[in-house]
Amino acid sequence: MVFALGCAQRQALFVVLPNADGTSGAITVSDNSQKSILLDKPYAASEEKGGNVAPATTNAQEVQQVFGNALAAQPILPAHFRLYFERDTDTLTPESAQQYSAVFDDIKRRPVYQVEVIGYTDTLGTQAYNQQLSLKRAESIRDRLIHDGLSASSISVAGRGELDPAVPTAPQTSEPRNRRVEITVR
Amino acid sequence: MSVIIHTRRAIAGAGLGFLSMLLFASIAVAQNPQIARVETISGQVFIQRAGAHVTVKLGDPLFEKDVIDTGADGAIGITFIDNTVMSAGPNSEVALEQYQFDSNNFSGSMLTDMRKGTISMVSGDIAKSSPAAMKVRTPAAILGVRGTHFVVEVPD
Repeated sequence: MVFALGCAQRQALFVVLPNADGTSGAITVSDNSQKSILLDKPYAASEEKGGNVAPATTNAQEVQQVFGNALAAQPILPAHFRLYFERDTDTLTPESAQQYSAVFDDIKRRPVYQVEVIGYTDTLGTQAYNQQLSLKRAESIRDRLIHDGLSASSISVAGRGELDPAVPTAPQTSEPRNRRVEITVR
Repeated sequence: MSVIIHTRRAIAGAGLGFLSMLLFASIAVAQNPQIARVETISGQVFIQRAGAHVTVKLGDPLFEKDVIDTGADGAIGITFIDNTVMSAGPNSEVALEQYQFDSNNFSGSMLTDMRKGTISMVSGDIAKSSPAAMKVRTPAAILGVRGTHFVVEVPD
């Protein structure tokens, strides 16, 4: 394949693409001579010729020409959700009860899916009690997802008690932001 | 069983050999946990695994050392257990050379060997765990991934 920015000797092409929000990450490309090029902007590119890396230029249209099929095959990206609970219960807060359907819809649109639900608590109560409560929270979400039609074998649950707070607090502290489940969907 | 071994020693010997191969294979599987899953697939796609070409379908697991091999009309998308996402276009050969991930502390390392074709990758937890943790190797270069979305082409 020969495109405008390359020539027949091109051995590789590397391009950083924008994220959905327009920002981008970064990659470094190093060759055998230890030469290294940092690509940290959308459509920043480098190519490899004769064993050396060199800067290159490209654009969205060219990326689509070369990588269109690979991009079209990209799976739906993993998603992460947090749902919050009323104090000392496995009952969702009113806001999170509304957000539940967004979680369910995200899972349903995937041809195949794996869901991890991990429960947490704040630091009120004993560690042992909170371990149980965190697992109960995760299981209550799992049971609801199964009730709504998801496959039980695709959902895993765990409870991490009060040991991994979203917001660190002193012991015996009520903290709504720590009474939660974290849901990863992929 | 012992009677069979006495009377048909050669066949029994072959059978035992086969049994030990099965045992070895099951140990190999036990030591080789699932690292990714097929999420999209179209056209001709093979996985080179332990010297064989196997076909895969939606939802199937992939393992360290698997080599993705797509035909002229083939494409595949996979999601790794650390939430890294990768897809390959037609005429591609991509080896999942090394992969290790600890879901308790969200750290690990991975090396993808890009032999030919096109790939798109969106990094996950491994790239977040350390700047040197996620790498892609091409015939003459090494890519260090600090984050998110990039594409690589290695012309045939």
